[in-house]
Amino acid sequence: MKRSALDGSPQTNFIYLLPGLLLYTAFVFGPIVAALGLSLTSWDGLTMPRWVGLGNYADLFSDSRFYIALRNNAELMIFYCVLPLVLGITLAACVWNLKQREQLALRTFLFLPYIMPTAVLGIIWAWLYNPAFGPFNQFLRAIGLGRFALPWLGDFNFVLPAVGIVATWYFFGFCMVIFLTGIQRIDPSLFDAAKVDGASARKTFFWITLPLLLPEIRVVLLLTVIASIKSFDLIFTMTRGGPANATLVPNIYMYQLGFELNRFGAAAAIAIVGALLTFAINYAIHRLVGSRSKGMA
Amino acid sequence: MGRSSNIPAALFLRIVLWLLAFVTITPFLLLLLTSIKSKADVLKGAFALPAYPHFENYLDAWNAGHFNIYFWNSIVVVIPVVAVSVFLGLLTGFAFAYLSFPLRRTLFAILTLGMMVPAEAFIIPLYYEMRYFGLINTYAALIVPQIAMSIPFSTIFLASAMQQLPEEVLEAAVLDGAGRFYILRKIVIPLMIPAMSTLALFLFIWTWNEFLIPFILVNDDAYRTLPLGMLFFQGRYTVNTPVLTAGAVIVIFPLILTYLVFQRRFIAGLTAGATK
Repeated sequence: MKRSALDGSPQTNFIYLLPGLLLYTAFVFGPIVAALGLSLTSWDGLTMPRWVGLGNYADLFSDSRFYIALRNNAELMIFYCVLPLVLGITLAACVWNLKQREQLALRTFLFLPYIMPTAVLGIIWAWLYNPAFGPFNQFLRAIGLGRFALPWLGDFNFVLPAVGIVATWYFFGFCMVIFLTGIQRIDPSLFDAAKVDGASARKTFFWITLPLLLPEIRVVLLLTVIASIKSFDLIFTMTRGGPANATLVPNIYMYQLGFELNRFGAAAAIAIVGALLTFAINYAIHRLVGSRSKGMA
Repeated sequence: MGRSSNIPAALFLRIVLWLLAFVTITPFLLLLLTSIKSKADVLKGAFALPAYPHFENYLDAWNAGHFNIYFWNSIVVVIPVVAVSVFLGLLTGFAFAYLSFPLRRTLFAILTLGMMVPAEAFIIPLYYEMRYFGLINTYAALIVPQIAMSIPFSTIFLASAMQQLPEEVLEAAVLDGAGRFYILRKIVIPLMIPAMSTLALFLFIWTWNEFLIPFILVNDDAYRTLPLGMLFFQGRYTVNTPVLTAGAVIVIFPLILTYLVFQRRFIAGLTAGATK
């Protein structure tokens, strides 16, 4: 059956598909499959890989550092996902009925971090947090809170929130923008009806806005959860996983095992676990947060 | 949230919003301010104004800090990545939008896999593949994998835009006896200009900001792009904060400019893609 007036024989159709597909297979899909195979071997990058089956995975799940990395990643999700979601939705509810120009100006400022390279943001924030001459501590001292001027990135207890806040700062404007378009999609007569019925702003928000924003909530959750699992640049440039593993996450651990210790099989196993985790969470969010029509497939 | 009739509360809310906006961009303002200070000015405090602007920091970053090389490398990488990705996205997108071929669903699933699996997951095999081809420390190492990584998004983005084109126009062209390449070139592409430019904008920002690919596949300073250059520059210049911040401004200035010019297009594309 023809798909459209433009359809032809499969052989000629493949001409359109082939260049992109070949390139993709050679440099993305092939390496993904290879990573899967590599994770079943022990390999130092020099000698022949040695088959170890699921040995790397077994090692990983009896490795306390890996559990530390997973726990750190779970804690970082508060800053990558929960805070930007809550902040974004609150801000969108506050901003959406401001005048068009003011809304645009606020959106421009709040969204700005999202277009930046996270690696460079990490370097900038490492400077802002610098205990001796960083602006952050200078500000604390200036307003009389000098005793809170801590070495943020060097303190075992504070480093995770300090890094996490940067992720929140990076994502919350993006979340707000997504929710803003979500609110504009909602039929305005619903809000009018609520007003006529004398519903308070709070009630309108929880009973009308919030439920109707479920598709956007799902998108924001998906994107931020995936971003938190693949977090590398920001943490690498700020702390490299330190101090004392306080900000170690799976991808940093993968980098250490692979490119510093030449244990490529074990590193690949972490990468595969990360990818599986992404799929699982993706699936869970699709199931739990009201599913809608998907794109083409 | 109906329009608030409570004027002081509404005013208070707006003050809070603007304060938040100001706090959000403060890191960038501090960056700009510090980049025009002398080393002596920096010691007077992060918020103190310099006696006069020291633009020579930018010259130092540009020449001594090698930002001229990094900037050039970023340009050399970003142009072919955007151009080729959009072109290949048009071809594969055309196939997924209009054509039938075996294993259609499987191929689509394989493509979406590439959007979900982060580069971190396959960087090790990719590194050895590039080493095998002798491409470590070349522009090809920065360009080719980046294009390959852009293909899934380009394909899906352009295919769904093509599906929204009016079918009658294409049917009419076929009835007139036009060939498919001709129709793609003369009818589809002109109608796709808005979608293509939105896509180009996304690809530009992603490629400009890419860290992992150049970090792993290149270790020669002559091939480093801006974010990588920044990292190694930090290692060398960490005591010279004004020059370091000048370097950061050089990295982010093209992004801010692009964002301000194409803001509406960027956000429209973002939200269209996100709600799909």
